[in-house]
Amino acid sequence: MSDHPVETRDLSKNFGKQPALCGVNLALPRGTVTGLLGRNGAGKTTLIKCLLGLLQPSVGESRVLGEPSTDLSPGVKARIGYVPQEPVIYPWMRVEQAIAYQGAFYPTWDRDLIQQLLRTFELYGRQRVGALSVGQLQKLAILLALASHPEVLLLDEPVAALDPEGRRDFLRMLVELVADGTRTVLLSTHITTDVERVCSHVAILKEGRLLRVDELDRLRDRIKELRLTATRPLPETAPELPGILHYSASGPSAVATVEGDVAAIAAQLGRDLHADVAVVGLSLEDLFLELHR
Amino acid sequence: MTVPAEQLLRVFPSSGVPIYRQVMDQVRGLLLSGQLRPGDMLPSVRSVASALAVNPMTVSKAYSLLEAAGVLERVRGTGMRVSPLQAEGSASARLNELRPLLEQVAAKAQQLGLTPSQVREALEPYLEMLAEGR
Repeated sequence: MSDHPVETRDLSKNFGKQPALCGVNLALPRGTVTGLLGRNGAGKTTLIKCLLGLLQPSVGESRVLGEPSTDLSPGVKARIGYVPQEPVIYPWMRVEQAIAYQGAFYPTWDRDLIQQLLRTFELYGRQRVGALSVGQLQKLAILLALASHPEVLLLDEPVAALDPEGRRDFLRMLVELVADGTRTVLLSTHITTDVERVCSHVAILKEGRLLRVDELDRLRDRIKELRLTATRPLPETAPELPGILHYSASGPSAVATVEGDVAAIAAQLGRDLHADVAVVGLSLEDLFLELHR
Repeated sequence: MTVPAEQLLRVFPSSGVPIYRQVMDQVRGLLLSGQLRPGDMLPSVRSVASALAVNPMTVSKAYSLLEAAGVLERVRGTGMRVSPLQAEGSASARLNELRPLLEQVAAKAQQLGLTPSQVREALEPYLEMLAEGR
């Protein structure tokens, strides 16, 4: 069996004439947590819905746990957890009923874990779902997704409505879930510091295309900022050198964002421009913004 | 004994320094400051990951790199222990910790056109201050 529990091949999706995903090739290795980043409308939700078979791709295909997304068996569905951006849970149910209702579909339903998550999230079995706040509803959705110990967990902005404490609780739960190294998680979010904390990999979508997908540490080793200082004014346009994503100079100093063998590029730039070069690591947020210039 | 290092470790995700690096640097720092001692057990990967809310692989990567560097050693079935060998922390090992900072100082001094003796002189009062503090 493939050791990529989540895979897409040339996955494209159009809504009418509007392309939402263009030729996405993604393979998530087992045991990894991948942060899915992208601006609003970049295609994050569309990608997750295609993976779940909730949307039909226009071209290409995707597979989850070895089965095509468009034809997932109940057995495989029971091994997938999903937290939608806007959870839909029957408002007339009580929390405990919603849990029992969903639990009926999963052979691996963990009642002890549910009790623990209810306490952590300060949810109560007797509460009506319809009376929950947006944040509480999101917590309930997370609880429902985690309670079956899913092998594949697809999370579509699961923490958008949570306060910082709730977010931290969620991250801890996620860490607990993945600690055995067999779960595969795809987490779409706008909160880059959360990705830096819990993700091993990162995938960046821009206008439906997969801009980068890599190990987080590797990506951060490969994309850095260089600060150049010289004794004479530096050229205003970037030198012809592969790997320079962005360059701007003012007088004898310049800033460049580079990608690749950073040390080599830094040395080359230093020689070409007769400048001192300092290499600065970028936060994921800065890195994301650099790739969207 | 096991040190509750998850209370001593702090990570800053957006600092630009990868989290595994931060964990490594902090374990080294705890050793140098004596808060971690030779033979101390480190908390498990899982408990550090959960306490800091970071990916377990990140913690495990930091531990493995520290093991490769001889700072930690793996105790079968138990976890990671501060290596007794580098226990005392030889003077050269401790100097190694200082090296990146020294390189920065030297480079900056050169940019500013300072002479070696000027730099030595500038450093002197700081060292004296520490010596008096004892």
